[in-house]
Parts: sequence; structure tokens; C-alpha cells
Amino acid sequence: MESLLQQLERFSEVLAVSRTAAVSAWGPAAVRRAVQWARYLRRAHGRLRAALEGRRRAGPRLGAWGGRDVVLSARLLGNRALGAAAHRCLLRLLFPGPAAPAPAPAAALQARLARLARRRGAVRLLLRGGPAEDAALRTQAELLLRRLRDGPAGGLLDGLWARAPRAAFLRAAAAALLLDPAGPAPGELLRWLLGRADALAALCRDLPAARLAALAARHPALRRAYLRQLARWGCRLRYDLPSGRWEAAEPAHVSWAELRGRFLSLARAPPPLKDAALAALEAWSARDGAFRVRGLSVWTDLLLALGPGAGTDSLGAASSSGVLGAGGCRLARPGPARSPEHAHFPK
Amino acid sequence: MAQDSVDFSSHYQFWMQKLSVWEHASTLETQQDTCLHLPRFQEFLRQMYEVLKELNSSTIIERFPTIGQLLAKTCWNPFILAFDESQKILIWCLCCLINKEPQNSEESKLNSWTRGLLSQILSAFRFDTKEVDLFIQSLGYTPEDYCPGLLKNMVLSLVSELRENHLNGFNTQRRKKISLPTSAVVCLWLRHLPSLEKATLHLFEKLISSERNFLRRIEYFLKDSLLPEAACHPAIFRIVDEMFRYVLLETDGAPEVLAAIQVFTQCFVEALEKKNKQLKFTLKTYFPYASPSLVMVLLQHPKEIPQELWLQTLKHISEMLREIVEDQTHRSYGGPFECWFLFIHFGGWADIAAEQLVMSETESSEALLWLLAFSYSPRDGSLQRAQTMVELKAALIHLKKLFRSPTLSAKDLQAVAAESPDRDPRPALCQQLSRRLLLNFLLWAPGGHAIAWEVITLVAPTDEITHEIIGFLDQTLYRWDHLCEEAPRSRKLARELLAELHASSTSQLKMLGTGSARPRCSRGPADSQAQSLNVSSPTVLPQKNQQ
Repeated sequence: MESLLQQLERFSEVLAVSRTAAVSAWGPAAVRRAVQWARYLRRAHGRLRAALEGRRRAGPRLGAWGGRDVVLSARLLGNRALGAAAHRCLLRLLFPGPAAPAPAPAAALQARLARLARRRGAVRLLLRGGPAEDAALRTQAELLLRRLRDGPAGGLLDGLWARAPRAAFLRAAAAALLLDPAGPAPGELLRWLLGRADALAALCRDLPAARLAALAARHPALRRAYLRQLARWGCRLRYDLPSGRWEAAEPAHVSWAELRGRFLSLARAPPPLKDAALAALEAWSARDGAFRVRGLSVWTDLLLALGPGAGTDSLGAASSSGVLGAGGCRLARPGPARSPEHAHFPK
Repeated sequence: MAQDSVDFSSHYQFWMQKLSVWEHASTLETQQDTCLHLPRFQEFLRQMYEVLKELNSSTIIERFPTIGQLLAKTCWNPFILAFDESQKILIWCLCCLINKEPQNSEESKLNSWTRGLLSQILSAFRFDTKEVDLFIQSLGYTPEDYCPGLLKNMVLSLVSELRENHLNGFNTQRRKKISLPTSAVVCLWLRHLPSLEKATLHLFEKLISSERNFLRRIEYFLKDSLLPEAACHPAIFRIVDEMFRYVLLETDGAPEVLAAIQVFTQCFVEALEKKNKQLKFTLKTYFPYASPSLVMVLLQHPKEIPQELWLQTLKHISEMLREIVEDQTHRSYGGPFECWFLFIHFGGWADIAAEQLVMSETESSEALLWLLAFSYSPRDGSLQRAQTMVELKAALIHLKKLFRSPTLSAKDLQAVAAESPDRDPRPALCQQLSRRLLLNFLLWAPGGHAIAWEVITLVAPTDEITHEIIGFLDQTLYRWDHLCEEAPRSRKLARELLAELHASSTSQLKMLGTGSARPRCSRGPADSQAQSLNVSSPTVLPQKNQQ
């Protein structure tokens, strides 16, 4: 089995090369060996997988080995650098035709390639009806979860954060957490996210408000983290007296409008989340003195902006323990406590 | 051979033209046209491959100078690629085009171009943004991994949208974002069992609701659901039938379910007859556990048989059923429950039997008595059934004596349905059957009209029985409509009675769970078919022995 694992590793190199210009050096014989090797490994994969079930010794890539013969074939077919003779040999190997006296594996590969072509045609067909963002995102989320399940997550998520396009990764992660909250894989993803401040901040920043509200509704731990993040953003806003608006200190910071949009989204969510968000706002507003005058506390103003339905009238009565425990502005930025005497004028 | 090649080149022209039309217009019509032609085009591709594989590349170009165009247009048409084996045959054709020894730059270019097309079929088209591509890659997956999952999810969201549309179709506002022809819905059901099950469950919800559903309404719901038509596919029929069976068992033979099964079968048979020219399936595929001759007889619509022969047909049915039920060696056709379940699909025959018994001048036929008793209580032992038959016979003798009298009194008839003080309380079954005979009598006897209402009020002291009588009248009117039965006086009476009963029934009629006497169809050890359902024991409702 060790040697088989080694072969898998070596084959993955072949697979990587198959896309590059290096295949120009491959003759028909090399192509034949590669395809036969792929076929053999496919058969062996089935047995290997069964043997390793429950042992988790396999390398992280084992799960993806099922279709490598198809991947190799498609790559070689699409590689312009492959020589003419090698290409002709490839065609004969992959598409022996209807009267194939070839052994079963050849016919099987031909059938699988046909199926791939059929599926691609079907996808193109369905895409004519309009873009399928939901389906695409769901698929990416499923693949992310599958990857997490198939191998030790260890450095996987860190690696993804470092290498993968971040926006796509975060979108897929959010979709994965909304797919089906039970199971170990989403749990791992959530833990990683909560432990990684920059990823969490980026998630809160980049995702649309509605999606974050859905996430917060599903995962209480995320809800708390999200509210903390919103608190941090809120604290950075300064009230500009002449214009009567809350301004971000720096252009990169979250704007008042966006903050309000986030809270609007939360206020529209079903009760547990909605109540938590409103309670947080009230707590922070109370901490700032609960004066019902605009411009003194961003939290008060947000409550007012959410409309009459939001918040209670007894702003002063909100409990200080609130939802966040020790959250709120006091920890985010040690600085002068807000009070009516300390109105901030623009510098 | 020469003729073949002439044929082939005219086909070639035809398809070349078609492909060009399909390429340039992407309207609904062209798409539908494409879909309709897919199987024939695949045949053409096969023929073409047979021709091409005998020739070398240069000869091919000589013979078919525009073949490149034809194959390219085929490659760009996702309908063709997505259909059956067309993509495979197309690939074979393209392989034939590859020149083993290109002599000049032209031939090299052609090779290069062909390679391009081949890779397009299998790899080029990107489904998503580059960003997503890179993400998938960083996960260690390839587009080949992504594609099947994407397809599955696209289809799933289509299916759920379709289901929503289909369900919302019952409301007045239809969301017509996707509307599929019936054939497409049937195809979907054939390929995706959960959507068939959901559709059937939704139908059940509508049928077994808190409001009484008249048979007309049931028929409307059924036809609207497309299930009877789809059930012309034996696979779909079997599944829907199985679900009906389950519900019947779970509700312990609720009359509403029985009615629904009957109407469903009727609509199904109607649909089957419409498709008669395409009928490819034998009856056995729909009713695999039943005796074929029995099914054939039951399937006959009473309308197609002269009324004089109804009696004979009923006797025949009765004999066949009796043979299967009472003869131990006929186990292959299931036990009493299976027989009964088959029979109630065509429950109209039982109603006709009751009518015939009341109206016939001669002595009550044993066969019909047996049939009636069986249809109401399939699990009775032969002794119990014999007893029931005796009771029925006695009631009938009484009724027949009175049938021709011009004036009747309610008291005369009350004795038929009510209890006699000097006897043990009668089982609910006998009471129900007697009521049935009595009602038939009221509808058909010349003197029955005058006293009908009075008798009914005497005989129906409770809501449950009123409910039962309403059901009977509705069913009878429905049946007469379908048989184009004239009998204007009887009809009028039935309608009037129905209206009166509705008006007078004040309390809420609970459809299920109040334990009105039902055909006792709970399973027993003898019913292997029923057991195979893996159903928890049916809710047994209280069997009231006296009203």
C-alpha cells in the first residue's frame, strides 16, 4: 500500500505536468503509459479507499482520486503543446469507437468522458436560462466541505486563506455554513473562522448584510462575533456637527450608511437574532448615557434610525450586562468617555 | 449503395440547414424544434460515422467539403451535446477527420482546428469566473469535479422551483416563470422520485382536508395534479397506488380515501384509453399481483355494457373474487386484502350491485350478496360473511315486498335499518349495509320519494350517519352522471335530499377519526403483500357496535 501511495503522489506530478508545455516532449509511448497508469490507479483507488476507511492515514488528496483519469484525459486533449503523433495516439486510446474490442477499462473511460461532455452540455444549456449563482455557490460550498471531510484540516484553511482568492473563499465558507449546520466539517470551518480575526473581519465586511444576518441567525457564536465587529465599526465613527452626520475617520472605515444597513438587516431577522441585536444597541446606547439627542452616541442614533418599531422606550433601563458581556466601545477603544461636554468637532 | 449515398446526401443537406437555423435563433420555438429532432439527428450522426470511418481525411473533405461546418455547428449546440450518446458519436466523427500525415499547411490547419473542437467538447468552456476557477483549484479540485455538482444543484433548484410553481398552480395567481408541458413533468417524475412523492402527498393533503370534498371536486384535483395521466407509466402508477394503499391502511379504510382511489382509477383509465394507440404496457405491469382476467373484467366501464348484462357481469366478478379469496391455492394473487384493494379501485361495481339487488324482482342473487358483504368487510371469515348475507337477504325480502306499493309509511321501512328489540345489537357493518339498501330503495321505489326525508331522519340520528348518507348520495349522483343514467325522478330526489342534509347538518363533520363504521381492512398475518409495506400498525379507530 505504501508503494501505491507513492505512485499516487508521482501521478499527481504527471497530472500537473499534463497541463503545461512540457508535454511537447511526450511521444505516443509516454501518452500510452500515462493513460494506462491513470486507468490502473483508478481501479486501485477503489480498493485503497476501502482499505483505508476508518484509518485516516491517507494523504489529504485521497478523496479526489476517483476521477483523475478523466482529468488527465481532458487536460491532454486540451493541451496544444502535445505533439501530433502523441495526440493521435491519445485519441485512439480514449475513443476506441463503437466496435471496441478493447478491454473493458478503455470502454469505461470512453463512457466517462462522454458523460463529462454530456454534463457540460447540460450545464451550458441550463445556463442559457440565466446565471445560476445560487447553484454555483452551493456547489463551491459543497466542495469546500468535501475537502474538509476528506483530509486533515490542519493547515488547510490557513492555506486557503493565504493562497485562494479571498472573496470567493469567504463566500463559499458562508454558503457552507448555511448549507447544513450539523456535521463536523462546518463545525471545523466555524471554529477556524472565529479564531482568525482577519478572516472574520473580512467576512463581516465583504458579505452582504442579508447573508450575514442569515449566518448570525444560524450560528450563535457568529452572531456574537458579528455584533462585536459592528461595535468596533461604530466606535470609529465621528459626529460632524456642521453637517449633522456621522463620518468615518478614514475612507477605508465602514460608513454610517453601511452600519445602519447592517442593523436594518438584523432588525428584520426572526426574533432571537432581532432581539439580540436590538438589546445590544440599547445596551451600548445606555452606556453612552442614553441621552436622546442626536449626535452624542452612534448607538442612540442607530436606534432612532431603525424606526419606531425598534428598541424599547426605556433606553435608560437597558441592562448593562447585555448580550456581549464586556463588549461595546469601552473595550474597543480606550479613550475619553462620551458625554455631552465632549462633542467632537472636525479637526 | 448508390441509392444510400443519394439518401445520405439529401439528409446531409437537411441537417445542415436545420443546424444553421438552430444556431441563429434561440427562441422557444427553435429550442422545442431542436429537442424534437434530437433522436433523429443522433441516428444521422451514427450513419455519418459509418460513412466517415471507411474514408481517410482527405477523401472526406473531398466528398463533404462542408463537413467542418456541420460538425462545428453540432459542437456549439448544447442540446445535442447533452443528449444521450450524440456527443460520443460526434467525437468519433471528429476523430475521423484527423489526418495521419498532413501533406501541406492546409491539412495541418484542419488538424489543428479539429483538435480545437475536440477540446471544446471536453474542456474549454468556463462555467464561472476566473476567481471561482482559482478557488476550486486551490481546494485541489478540477473543473471535472465541479461540473457534476454544479449540474446537480442547477437541476435541484429548477426542480424546487417547478414544484412550487406546480403547487401554486392551484391558486388563482400562477407564477408562470416555468411552465412545462405535461410530458416534461412526467419525465421529471420518472427520473426524480422525490418530486413524484411530494406531488402525491400534496394531492393527499388537498383531498383529506377538513372540508368535505365532493367527488366532482376530487376529480378536478386529481386531473389538475396530472397524476392520473402520468400514471399511464406503470412505474408511476405503482408508486402512486402504493401511496394510496398506505394512506388507506393508515386511515383504516376511510371512505374519503376509498372515494379518492376510485376517482383516481377512473381518471387513470380515461387517460389510458386516450393513449390507447401508444399503449405499450400490459395490464400486468399495472396490477402485477392480481389475476389478469379479473382485472380485465373490472376495467370494463359499465357504460360499455348493456344494462341487461350488468347482473351477469357482477356475478362473474363475484365468482372470480370469491374463488381467489376462498381458495387457498390461489395465494399468488394475494390474500383477501389484496383482492379487496384491487376491487375498490373499481368500487362503482359494488354500488351497482346494491342497486341491482334492490331493484331486481327475482330472488336476491347469492353472488351479489357475497360481493356486497365482501366489499364492506373483506376480512370476515366465511361464517361471519354468511351471517351478513343472511341478514341482507332478510332485509331485501322485506324491501322487495314493499317495492311496488304506491304508498308507503316510514315505519315500514324503519324496521329494515333499525334494531329489533328482540335481537342482539347488530354489528355496525350490517347496519351500514342495510342503510345502503334502504337508500337505494328510497331512490328507486315509486313510493319512496314521498317518505324519503322522513325515513332518513329516523335512520340518521347522528352526524356520522348523516355524513355517511351525504357521501352515498354524492357518490350515487356522480356515478349516474358518468353512466349517463337518466332516471330524472331519482336524480331529483337525490339532489334534494343532499341539499336538505347539508342544510341540516349543523355540527362540524370531522372527516376522520370519529370512527364511523368502516370496512375492516386492518392487516392480518395472511396478507403478505400488505406486510411488505413495512408500515406501523394502522390506527385502529373505535369500532362502534351500536349507534
